[in-house]
Order: sequence, then structure tokens, then C-alpha cells
Amino acid sequence: MHTRPDSTLVDRLASSSLSGTDDAAAMLVGAVKRYGSGQAAVVALDDVTIAFPAGRFTAVMGPSGSGKSTMMHCAAGLDQLSAGQAFVGNTDLSSLDDRELTLLRRERIGFVFQAFNLIPTLTAVENICLPSTLAGRHPDAAVLDQVVSMLRLGDRLQHRPAELSGGQQQRVAVARALVTRPQVVFADEPTGNLDTHTGQEILGFLRSAVDQHRQSIVMVTHDPNAAAWADHVVFVVDGRVHEVVDRPSADAVLDVMKRLGR
Amino acid sequence: MFRSAVRSVIASRGRFVLTGTSITLSVAFLVATLVLSDSMRGRAADDIAEALAGTDAVVQGVVLGESDGGPGELGGSVRRSLPADITERVAAVDGVTGAAPQWVGFAKLVVDGSSVGTGTASDVGRNWIVDPAVNPFRLTSGRPPTVPGEIVIDRAVAEEAGVTLGETVQVLTATGMHDATIAGIATFASADAAPLQRTVLMPDVAVPGWLDAAAPTEVLVRITDGADAAEVLGRLAASPDSEVTSGADHIASMQDAATSPLQFLTVFLLAFAVVAVLIGVTIIFNTFALTVARRRRESGLLRAIGAERRQVLGGVVVEALVIGVVATTLGLLCGVAGVGVLRWLVGLTGVTLITGPSIVSVTSMTVAACVGVGATLLSAWIPARRAAATPPIEALRDSAAEQRAVSRARTATGLGLAAVAVSGGAVAVLRTSTAWLGLVAALVPALVLCGPAIVTSAARWGAPVARRVAGVHGSIATGNLAASPRRASSTALALMLGTSMVTLFAIVASSLTGAVGADVRDGLRADLVITSATADFATIDPTLADRLASLPAVEVVGALAIAEGIEAGNPTAIGGIDASTLPSLFDLGLIAGDLDDMTSGGIAVVGSDASLLGTTVTVEFERSTLEAPIVAVVERSTGGFDAPAYFVDRRTLDAAVDGLLDALVFVNIRGSVTADAEEAVRAQVRATPGSFLATSAEHVANSGSEVDAFRNFIDGMLYLAGFIALLGVANTTALAINERAGEIGLLRAVGATRRELRRIVRLEAALLSFVAALVGITVAVGVGWALIDVAGGTDLPSVVVPWARLAVTLVVAVAAGVIAAAWPAHRASQVPVLEMISRDR
Repeated sequence: MHTRPDSTLVDRLASSSLSGTDDAAAMLVGAVKRYGSGQAAVVALDDVTIAFPAGRFTAVMGPSGSGKSTMMHCAAGLDQLSAGQAFVGNTDLSSLDDRELTLLRRERIGFVFQAFNLIPTLTAVENICLPSTLAGRHPDAAVLDQVVSMLRLGDRLQHRPAELSGGQQQRVAVARALVTRPQVVFADEPTGNLDTHTGQEILGFLRSAVDQHRQSIVMVTHDPNAAAWADHVVFVVDGRVHEVVDRPSADAVLDVMKRLGR
Repeated sequence: MFRSAVRSVIASRGRFVLTGTSITLSVAFLVATLVLSDSMRGRAADDIAEALAGTDAVVQGVVLGESDGGPGELGGSVRRSLPADITERVAAVDGVTGAAPQWVGFAKLVVDGSSVGTGTASDVGRNWIVDPAVNPFRLTSGRPPTVPGEIVIDRAVAEEAGVTLGETVQVLTATGMHDATIAGIATFASADAAPLQRTVLMPDVAVPGWLDAAAPTEVLVRITDGADAAEVLGRLAASPDSEVTSGADHIASMQDAATSPLQFLTVFLLAFAVVAVLIGVTIIFNTFALTVARRRRESGLLRAIGAERRQVLGGVVVEALVIGVVATTLGLLCGVAGVGVLRWLVGLTGVTLITGPSIVSVTSMTVAACVGVGATLLSAWIPARRAAATPPIEALRDSAAEQRAVSRARTATGLGLAAVAVSGGAVAVLRTSTAWLGLVAALVPALVLCGPAIVTSAARWGAPVARRVAGVHGSIATGNLAASPRRASSTALALMLGTSMVTLFAIVASSLTGAVGADVRDGLRADLVITSATADFATIDPTLADRLASLPAVEVVGALAIAEGIEAGNPTAIGGIDASTLPSLFDLGLIAGDLDDMTSGGIAVVGSDASLLGTTVTVEFERSTLEAPIVAVVERSTGGFDAPAYFVDRRTLDAAVDGLLDALVFVNIRGSVTADAEEAVRAQVRATPGSFLATSAEHVANSGSEVDAFRNFIDGMLYLAGFIALLGVANTTALAINERAGEIGLLRAVGATRRELRRIVRLEAALLSFVAALVGITVAVGVGWALIDVAGGTDLPSVVVPWARLAVTLVVAVAAGVIAAAWPAHRASQVPVLEMISRDR
């Protein structure tokens, strides 16, 4: 069940904008996601094939309803594809049952959501360690120290989420996503609820995780300034990959958005 | 508004099915209780009124004092017996057309060597009254008995025994066993049997030989048509050795006597019904508190765009009304149907409560319906009002969750009330005054007020343990409890009430068993004991003791008879036993005096006051008055509910009271007990219906077993109440999970498996049940102890706490809580991850 995509898929991938399956942290191949059926059917993902490269920071952008969130949810195993395949590393997610998917999320994926990221009844450090604890392990102490100090959470570890500011809460969420050193971190609008300054701070942390530890990150956002922190920006329109911009600047992203908006 | 409320109910079916079920069950319980007690009282009263309608007056013996009755005994009065020529004297009175003597005694039907009927109904023998106008019984088949050996039995006994007309049976009476033929089958008015009695009717000619009575128990009088009834009554009352009662008064006193043994059962049942309704109310309250909280933003929006407070409130109330009416209607139906189940449950104790069909009165239906709908409305209105009082802007903000902090004032008030309750109990115990015990009731509001604080501190103290035992799951579970202390505590309250009821009854029952059993345990010296069919009535053929004494293997036999008399105006049980055999059979624990002096007419008193020696005791029996000097003070009696408070020599008692059967026969085997010797005794006992053989060990173990039968019934009720409480746990857990959907989704996203999620929910329910059961048990142990200590009297001299049983209760409560949480846990784990994450965004 842990199979590499077959050669035709590799060919198709090679023709896509982001290629090179050897170093893909996550992939979608011929991904289709339909909601509803018959007349009312909505196609959220329309035959998307894309690889998110390992050790890179990829931003996914697109207008509301473009399918960018669906794309992330399917790539992360939170949602099932109607057709096609999703891979995390070499693992075909469609071959996994619910329990295996859960364990995969626990072991190999990190998540940062826009809001409601933390379990209110657990302290900051318990939240950070939650995926490891669920797996019955203690996180690597060195990694924990390093992540905590990088995110400057040292004096906040014993606080509960309600006692933390929005930025601090999001830093705890980032720490939780990073501490297991997952194959890929999926961040869904991680700065959406934060003020500009705090948002930039969070993005800085994500960036340095990529630079210092070759962490693969996929981030869904609608903010060009946030996207500018990424190595690549994937533009999704009407459930399809429309364009990929490498080494983007905020202006370059804005330009693409203006064109898309036309 | 109405339409949207109905739609809202339909839209959230799951939640309202649970709430509705709790209302339905509560109402059903209440209706069943009311119908049952109506049927018990109503039928018995109607039957008696109908059966005695033709009797204008009744002449009875002079009242000596009130009997204390017992379950199944027809209470009433202890009377001096009538003169033998009373019938003739009554018949001679001017204005009397008919005077029918009624003899009443003990008679038990025996079919194929075994006695018919178990339980607390008494076995009564009467003469068949020839005058149909005053005969309370009516033949349904066969003919009246005319010669000795012919009997008529009531239809209930006939059915129970499975006998038919012409069949040969036996009847055990005070004079021994008699062969008999069933001549007819009769009803008591239109009922199958007289209330709480099994009746054998015999011809007048059989009375002297069977009932061993010199004079009738009463004379039923018919007054000449047209005569002035009051005048005739006056003439009848002129006789100094009898009393006369008008027909109507007689009916009233018979009705009282027949229904009073049921009164306590009615009170018990109503107590359960109240608990069931209370639990139901808690559940409804929780549900509405949560749904209203969830809709706070919606109602905030409505308020912001101009809806009045009343309009917001109205929606919730209409919603509650819809649920209340539907659930109550179902509850009424289920309740009436459930009476059958209750009758069966009660029947397990051997009590036949209802001899006719159930009575469903308009009053009981109305009461139950009002309670059901009213409770639903009230418990919806309180949270709704709270929600409507919130300023719109605050409601629109995100903080829809319940506030975490527990109000200090609330806890302080609760603690204050608890202190009042505890000190009230303490004073009551110290002064042995029941009045102070009333303060203990303050515990209930105290628990309601302290509930959130209890839950919070339990969660705090439990957290490290839960963490050690169940890791992060434990932390999350305890955290969840602490996060909504008010909801958790009202859920816990239902369970608390349930467990404390269980505990209270368990303590009373075990103390009762202990009290009944202790004397037997400490005093029994005999090798074998022969007991009566029921502990309340003596049913052993008096000839058995003589037959046993003649067996070569038997060394000593002592037969104990018990008679009820009136001493200083109070009913007292007097035991009669051969004083010379007594010491080797039963050690009464001599404190002062000499038991041998009983043989010369002395009396032994059970007590501790040695200074009573030498004083004279006067006991009035039906036919005589016994005056005897106290010659011994003993520590204990012979055990059982109606254990004698005095002992005299058997000859003394037989001289004072005739027609006594033996209550217990003690037997000592020559040398050590061998199987052969036991078998010889057993053969005699087997040939004597109404008697049962027990070894000394068995008798000790059986003592108090009659309490167990009653306990089974109580347990049945409690399981029902407990079941409703568990519905509450299931309901609240399901609601809480709904509320925490986001959190659960997050847990799933970061890698909690479905199993782990279920585990967290179960842990939470287990912890809550544990705390609730523990508090419930602790409180009930305290209350039970104070109650028995203060009000127990001689029936319950010491408190016996059944620790093992309480431990089982605790375990069962926790296990049941976990089971109740299984379904919500399952549902929580089945919801797709994404749906949870994206909900409420």
C-alpha cells in the first residue's frame, strides 16, 4: 500500500508546474473532489496534479471558493478525494483506513489552523506535546527545547490557552506542529485572526523552520504579504492549478491576483 | 413563533428524544404510582363497602387497645371476647330482625401436603353466614357448606391452589389438620378475595371443632325495616360486655384497617416518583440550558434587530411546551401500561395488592399531566429567561460558553446550609429528638448549591490521578469537567439522588436485618428450629412438638407460641415457652432473677432494667387478663419482627389465650446431630404443612430474610430511578460533546484515534459518576445513621452499614455512567473530522 506513483503519473507530474517526485513532501495526482451529486454537484477540485516539494515553503492562494482549502484538506488526509490519489511522502492516503489516517496525521503531519487550535483544558506545553502524547511517547526533549526557544514560549508553557494572547496561542499551535518534525506541516490561514505585526512574526517562525531544519510547509492564505514569505505560490482557480510563481514578492503576487481578478 | 419552535424541535431530534424520554419516564413512573395506590385503596374500600352494605350494625367485644398490626394484618383493635350467648341476646333486642354470629380464626388451606399462599396476606377461617343480606361473601359456584368437612374458599385461593369443586383438601386450624371437601367457591362482594386475606369458609357446626372458639368474634345485625336505627343501636349499646358499631362506621373502620398496611407502600412509591420527577427536571433543565446557550448568538441577533425579550423567551417556551405535551402524553400511556410491571414488581415481595382491575382516575392523570408539562415548562423557562436577560451585544460576542468560575456566594450559602444540616443531625443524635432531624433536609439544597464547587474540586484533585492513570486523556477529561461545573453538577445531582436513595434503603434494610438477626445469632442454642410459613404468623400445628418429643433421637423440644395482648394500653407480644426446656434451647441472656420461677406463673421481661424485678405486669388478652410478677430480666428476645417483649411459661399462656399455634419449635438432638436424627425430625416436619425445618446455622442465616424480599422490591424501584438518572448522563454527555465539536475535531486532526476519543468521553462520565455516587453514598450513610440512631427505637437498635453493598453500588454507578456515555462517545467518534473543524466557524 505504500507505493510510489506509477510511471504515467510521474510523467504527468513532470509536466506540471511543480515537478520532481523524489523530493515531494506531499502530492495530489489527478485529484478530483465533488460535493453533492447530479445537478447540484459542485466540483471543488478538478483533476489537480501537484507536488509540494520537501524542505520548501509553499503557499496556496486563490479567491474564495477556488478550492484551495479543499486541496489542503485532501492533501492532509482530513478529507477523502472523489477520484485520484493523494500522497504524503510515499504513502497513498486512499489506501489507508480511518485509524491509519489518524496515525499518519499524528506521526507525519503537523497542523496549524486559523482559530481554535488548542485544547482549552490543557496547558501550553501539554498542547505542544499532544500529538506525541497521543502516540504514547514523549517528544524529543532537544527538539522541544529548541522549538520552544525559537518561538519564545519558555515563560508561557504552564499557561492555559485562555490565559494567552492570540499571537501566543498561534505560536503554541506552530510549536505543536513543528515539535514532531513531521514530513509536512499544513497551515490553514495561520495569520487570518492576527494583527499584521503578530502575523509577520508567525510567518517568520515558519520561514526559519524551513531554512534551518528543511521543514516542508504548505500554507493556505489569501494575504499576498503572507504568501511572499513562501518559496512558491500556487494559484488555484475554479478547482484547478492556474499558475505557480517561484520566489514571489508581495508585488508579484498582487500582480497575479489582479490578473486573476480580471 | 410556534411553527419555528416545532421546526426547531424536529431539527434537533436526537437531543429532544433524550429529553422527551426522561419526561416520559418520569411521568410514567408518577402515573403508575398514582394508579397503583388508587387501585390498592380504591378497590379495597369499594369491596368492603359493597360486601358489608347489608349489615346495619355490628356487635363486637370491648376494645382493650389498638393492635400495632403488621404487614398483612388487618390492624384494628384488640378486643375482649364476647359472651357465649351474645347472639341470642342481640336477637332478642327490640328492632333487630337478624343477628348472624361471625366466628373468625386461623385457617389455612393445604393441598397435597403443602400450604397454599405465601407472602403477607393472612389465612382466615370464617363461618359461612346463611343470611345472604349480611354475608360478605357470594357464591360463584357450588353450594354453601353444611356439614363439618365441607368448605367454601375464595376465588383467589381457588385459583392459586388450582382446586375445583368437590376436590378433597386439608385445612390447618388452631385445632390441627382437618380433611375437607370444596363445596363452593365464593367472592368477597365482587372481588376475588377479601383485602389481604385468604379465606376458608365453614359451616357453623364445624366452628367449635375447627376454630376452637367459645363465642363469636362479632355479631352482624339487621335492623327491622321502619325501626329507628339510632334507637336500636342505643338499645344494643346498653350491654356492658359488648360494643356496637353502626354499619357505616364499621365499613369505615374496616376500610382503614385494610388500607393502612398499604399506606407505607404508597408513601414509598410516591417518594420514588418524586425522585424520578426531580431527575427528569434536572435533565430537562440541562438540555434547555445548553440549547439556549448555543442559541445565545442567534437570540442576541434577534434582540439586536429589534425582537423583544418576551419574543425571544416565547420561542423557547413554545418549544418546551411541544416537547412537554408530546412526552407527557406518551408518559401517561406508558404509565398506565407500566402498572402491570409495577404489580409484578410488588408481587415479587409476595404481597397481592390488587385483587381487581387497575383504577385509572381522572385525578391521577391530571396530576401527572400537570407535573409533566409544568416541570418541562419551568425548567425551560429559567435558562431561557437568563439568556433573554443578556444584553444583545454580549450575546453576539463569541463567549457563548458557560462561565467557568463558580460563584463564591453560591458555595458559601451551600456550605452554610450543609453546616445547619449537620449540626441539626448532631443535636438530634445527642438529644435523641426527631424534631431536630428535620434540619437534615437542608442537605438537599446544600448539595444543589455546592454541586459546582464539588465538581470543580473533584476535577482538580482528580486531575493528577487521572493523568497518571490515563495520561493526556485523563487530563482532558478532568479539564472538561472543570470547564462546565454547573452542567456537570446538575447531571451529578440526579445520580447523587439515585445513589443516596439506594444507600439509605440499603442501610435501613441491613440494620433491620441486623436487628432481627442479632438476637437469633447470639441466643440460639437449639440444634434444629422449625419455623412457620411466614415470620408474621404462627402456622405450626401444635401437635408437632409432641410428636417430635416422642422421637428417640430428640432430647429436648420447646415450642414457642406468641400472643398479642394489651399492656398499659399498648400492644405487646407475649411469648410462651416451657421454662424448663428454655435454657438449653435459647439463651435469653439472663440479667437478673431466675427463669425457673416462670413455671410458677412468673413473667420474664426483655430489657436492661434489673430493678423491674418483683413488679407486676398486667396484660389483657381477648378472653382473660394475665397478672404476673416479673421474675427475670433478660437481655434478648427470640428474634423476628414481632419478637416477644415478655416471656411466660407455655402453660400460663395457654391458660390465658386459647387456640394458639406454635410460632417456632426448638429441637435439641440427643448427642451430636447426625443425618439420621435430622432425617427423623424432617420426616415429621414434612408431614406437617405450615412448618419448615432449619438447622441452627440456617435459621441464623434466614433471620431477617423477610427484609430481603422487601429490599428486592425497593431495589426494583431504585433501578428504575437510576435508569432515569443515567439517561441524564447520556443526555448531558451528548450535549456537551455537541458543544465541544471544535475541540474534538482538533483532537482528531492532530492524531487522536476514534478509540481514544471514546476513551476521553468515557473517562469524563466515569469520573462524574464516581464523584456523584461517592457524595450520594457519603451523605446517605450520614443521614441513615442519624435517622436510625434517633428514630430507630427498639426495632432498629443499631446501625449496620452494608459496606460491601455500598461498594457494589459505587462500582455499579460508575460502570453504568460509562455505559450511559457509550452512545454519545460513539457518536462523537463517528463525526467526520472536517465537519467538526469547520462547524461554528
